[in-house]
Amino acid sequence: MTLSTSASTSPHPTQLERALKQLSQEVLRMGTLVEQSCRLGHQALFAQDFEAIAALTPIELQIDRYYRDIELECARLMTLQRPVAQDLRLLSAFMQLVRDLERIGDYAQDLTELAIKLYNYPPHPCLGEIEQMSQQAQGMLAVSLVALADLDPGAGAELKVMDDTIDDAYDRLYHTLAQARDLQGVVEPILLMVLAMRHIERMADHATNIGQRVAYIVTGQRG
Amino acid sequence: MSLVLMFLLGLLVGLMLCGWQHYQFRQQLEQLLRKLPAQFQDPSVLNPLYRLRRSIEELLKTQYISQQQGQMWAIILEVAPLGYLRVDALNQLLWCNPIAREILQINRWQSGQVRLLLELVRSYELDQLIEMTRRTGQPQQLDWVYRSTTIAKDETAIPSPYAIALRASTLLLSDDHVGVFVENRQPIVEARQARDRAFSDLTHELRTPLTSIQLVAETLLPRLQNPEKQWVTQMLREIKRLMGLIQSCLDLSRLSSQGGEMLNPQAIPFASLVQMVWQTLGPLADRKAITLGYHDPEKLEIWVDRDRFLQVLLNLLDNAIKHSPEGAEIQVRITTIAKEPKNWHTIDIIDHGLGFREVELPLIFERLYRGDASRQRSGNDGLDSPLPNQGSGLGLAIVQQIIAAHGGKITAQNHPQTGGAWLQIQLPTFTQS
Repeated sequence: MTLSTSASTSPHPTQLERALKQLSQEVLRMGTLVEQSCRLGHQALFAQDFEAIAALTPIELQIDRYYRDIELECARLMTLQRPVAQDLRLLSAFMQLVRDLERIGDYAQDLTELAIKLYNYPPHPCLGEIEQMSQQAQGMLAVSLVALADLDPGAGAELKVMDDTIDDAYDRLYHTLAQARDLQGVVEPILLMVLAMRHIERMADHATNIGQRVAYIVTGQRG
Repeated sequence: MSLVLMFLLGLLVGLMLCGWQHYQFRQQLEQLLRKLPAQFQDPSVLNPLYRLRRSIEELLKTQYISQQQGQMWAIILEVAPLGYLRVDALNQLLWCNPIAREILQINRWQSGQVRLLLELVRSYELDQLIEMTRRTGQPQQLDWVYRSTTIAKDETAIPSPYAIALRASTLLLSDDHVGVFVENRQPIVEARQARDRAFSDLTHELRTPLTSIQLVAETLLPRLQNPEKQWVTQMLREIKRLMGLIQSCLDLSRLSSQGGEMLNPQAIPFASLVQMVWQTLGPLADRKAITLGYHDPEKLEIWVDRDRFLQVLLNLLDNAIKHSPEGAEIQVRITTIAKEPKNWHTIDIIDHGLGFREVELPLIFERLYRGDASRQRSGNDGLDSPLPNQGSGLGLAIVQQIIAAHGGKITAQNHPQTGGAWLQIQLPTFTQS
């Protein structure tokens, strides 16, 4: 069973089934936009691609629009159609899911702001590892969106493993940066890098949450 | 006696009922036959049952042929070198061929499954293109780079990004289905990038030794007497021409790679730009007694980078002057036209010269294309020309790049009335956002 077939299996879908299918599509669309945001944030920070920053703003506005519209539609369907069982879980999971997606989008935009400030400084040796963290976070988002499309409850475990990798990297890098002594010049690049790591770690957490919500839709338990 | 009569009466009634039923049956048969499409109506043979049988045979045959054709088209699409996929009214993927699977990385779908396209191909651009096709009812086309993050097999490995330049062409089918052809443009994009890089590297390499030659020649010049002095002067002229050519090459490659980034646009009255250029070209125009016919009833302002656009006008008007006969007029016009989704300024430059040859028209904006001998540089030796790249063949290529960097386009044709060259520039008007 996948996201689109969870709603309607009969050849003549009811109004609720049609509405759920349409809503699923909107959530997936929002997911693709958030993926694009993350890519652009990554490009801005690690490839100094400033065109990416300009491209990000309209996408962010669109993501916010989807967030509001999907939340409203979920509330509307829950009151008017009074769904039960899996359909109800689907709607409540969507309401939470889009919050996670919207936060990931916001963190991606924060990365672009850090990129602008970090541009003035020479590259730090730790930036390579932070770039890997960011790539892994993007991978996690991809896994979570595939899990949503396939309604795969098992993806939660996979995401947990990937999240642990990122958390370990975060702790290691934090320790390295926090213990840096005898610094030449200002401490701003260190601060900016710690902030970037924090944002990426939060993005990974939200992606893990998405995996958990997918498990909730299918099993009724938070994996 | 009455028994026989009653028997006969009963027989008669029975026969009448029989006849009536038979008549009814025939009527129904005729009605059935009338339902068939016209080509199966065969009035020559009267027996309706026979006609019905013949018609059914014909229909079955036609159905078989249609099925065969349908299968043939499906096979053709399956092996086509282009990707093709079809979605239904709810954006569910109905069919896709192997190339589409490969290009778009559709890994988690088997034919027969009912899945949204967005579940399989997470591309916002493709989804919006399909929606727009349905909204407008017109075929659409889009060039974009499809990016996706491939999920690593091992959870701790770093996922690699997948990026491919694609062109999608859509068309609306019946029942709100949409067919999409997907073409892999990555090889073309890479070839273009490699060519631009090679061009740029070459011109940089050429510049350095040329600069040192120029320095030596300039140092030498004051120490010499004729005839050596004249020779070195000539050398300096040629060096200057080469430097100009290389600078144009560099400009061109920078424009084509960076495009709009380098521009500094402002709102400038078109009339003032034309006046400035005409003043610079004044001596050349007066020599051939050429006049300027300027039509700008609304005194329009255009949103352009001033220096770059001056370069464009200088180039085009210089060409027009060179190819105009004595005493001719060069017309310069500007109007606004509305063409969805925004308004465009249209600038026409028309001369009364010989025009372009038909075979040249698609090539004139190519780099280093110089046309035939009649359009070669002539007259002065290039030192006092306002254009450093005169006759190099790069002028129009640079003009096209500058216009493209402004988001506009330029076309060339022969003017139907004057027979001369007609260059038309279209620039988007600036809208306050």
